[in-house]
Amino acid sequence: MKATHIQFMLDRFQSHPEDDAIIWSDQRFSYGWLVNAVQDWMRQLDEQQVPRGASVSLEADFSPNAIALLLALIDRDCILVPLTSSVEQKKPEFRAICEVEVILEIDGNQLKTYQTTGVKASHPMIVRLKDAKHPGLVLFSSGSTGKNKAALHDFVPLLEKFKVPRHSMRTITFLLFDHIGGINTLLYTLSNAGCVITVNDRSPDAVCATIEKFKAELLPTSPTFINLILITRAYERYDLSSLKMITYGTEVMPESTLQRMHSVLPNVNLLQTYGLSEVGILRSKSKTSDSLWMKIGGEGFQTRIVDGLLEIKAESAMLGYLNHESPFTEDGWFKTGDAVEVDGEYIRILGRKSEIINVGGEKVYPAEVESVILQMDGVEDAIVTGAENPIIGKIVQLQVRISTGETLSEFRSRMGVFCQGRLERFKIPQKVTLVTDDLHSERFKKLRGKDGKN
Amino acid sequence: MKDQIISLIAETLQEMNQSGEFTYETDTIQGDTPLYGGIEGTLDSLGLVKLIVAVEQGIQDRLNITVALADQKALSQTRTPFRNVNTLADHAINVIGMAAT
Repeated sequence: MKATHIQFMLDRFQSHPEDDAIIWSDQRFSYGWLVNAVQDWMRQLDEQQVPRGASVSLEADFSPNAIALLLALIDRDCILVPLTSSVEQKKPEFRAICEVEVILEIDGNQLKTYQTTGVKASHPMIVRLKDAKHPGLVLFSSGSTGKNKAALHDFVPLLEKFKVPRHSMRTITFLLFDHIGGINTLLYTLSNAGCVITVNDRSPDAVCATIEKFKAELLPTSPTFINLILITRAYERYDLSSLKMITYGTEVMPESTLQRMHSVLPNVNLLQTYGLSEVGILRSKSKTSDSLWMKIGGEGFQTRIVDGLLEIKAESAMLGYLNHESPFTEDGWFKTGDAVEVDGEYIRILGRKSEIINVGGEKVYPAEVESVILQMDGVEDAIVTGAENPIIGKIVQLQVRISTGETLSEFRSRMGVFCQGRLERFKIPQKVTLVTDDLHSERFKKLRGKDGKN
Repeated sequence: MKDQIISLIAETLQEMNQSGEFTYETDTIQGDTPLYGGIEGTLDSLGLVKLIVAVEQGIQDRLNITVALADQKALSQTRTPFRNVNTLADHAINVIGMAAT
């Protein structure tokens, strides 16, 4: 059976039939297996008469059959809505927003549910893709400011960038199946005949054990997870010598965390990535492994800074939101809301504009404060947010998890001394709360939102 | 109750003194030790905010009562309740009393 959209991938798979394509539950699946599995799913979708161009939710995590089915659905021009268990409660709402016509659920590595919903997708953007016989992809934003926005992409331009052959690596799929970073990692790795190494347990020890066992070369992750590796010292218990690169994105990296990681793994390249559900992942290059300065762009992307905020124009940008008005300017620029500093051709992300804390007229970026607090002995994790204050507008509020057993007053006092000379006075947290719970979400991203929601 | 609040304020000032925030002879903290406003006040607005937030947290911890000591009403009084330890303690007791009813 000849494929349309993914033939270039199948060609590449066929030229590496013996190589590992996917590692799942300690089992190896070769590219030869993957070609057969994709073609098998293409036949099954035919037999089940899944309509071409249907809006289909693929409810799964990274598994060999979920990956093969994803590729088969792309080739059937389907509008793909990947959903993972991390959004379990929201699945009905998300299916409704995407006018899902067919639900496919993979449990473990087996098809568990095949269900037609009786819905007929009529959203003009979905219909447009259907008419053009282009597959689509819907990614939900994390909804830190309330409603989750559903970004609809045309899969054809998204796939275009994977047609250029690049270096293949043995890569851990750490970011989730329904995240732009997760999908990007998957498609990049497969289209270069690298190896996708899946992890079921995303704890530092489990991930490091997998790196050791399957000789992973690339770990795409988040600053929060890097901090967890440092706190737990998991890097001391496993042989991570196969690791060549760690990429980090999805939130601002505290400078102190980056520098500590670089000092414990000096031979690993630390590369910052930048991407958003709305525009995709840009190509990026960090100045050095211990620097937060980076160049971003690449073919198909233009960037500009307006009033200190980053704007991006991308050929592979989403068509729009299914449940929200278009965020693009008339000439197609996307306002990222990220405040940046510029030095020649390098930029440095300071933080979300919405997260800047205005203390009596002075700007405070949470990441800068967190970076200092994280250097204190016994500090395991720290989140800085703004809190309303009638005297000076906003105050800097710190939630911190410590291992020293100090009282709040003892910690506050030590923090005050530690921050002197490291932070300007207005940046030193005026309110401190000691916490015992994790300060991050299932996606290993700091929980900054109201009531701990992100 | 007032003694409790005064010692809470004094402890907080001591803590702030250790971190260089408050430059007062802390072993001599008394009811008339000036805090904010007037010629004698030694705290600036940032220091005042820190003190108030810490006292609010102390009241929460020790008395299990959630209070906001710096609301619009407190800020609009002609004679600020934050001028010395005594007036702050009275103000806190007042607010606690209202929170309890």
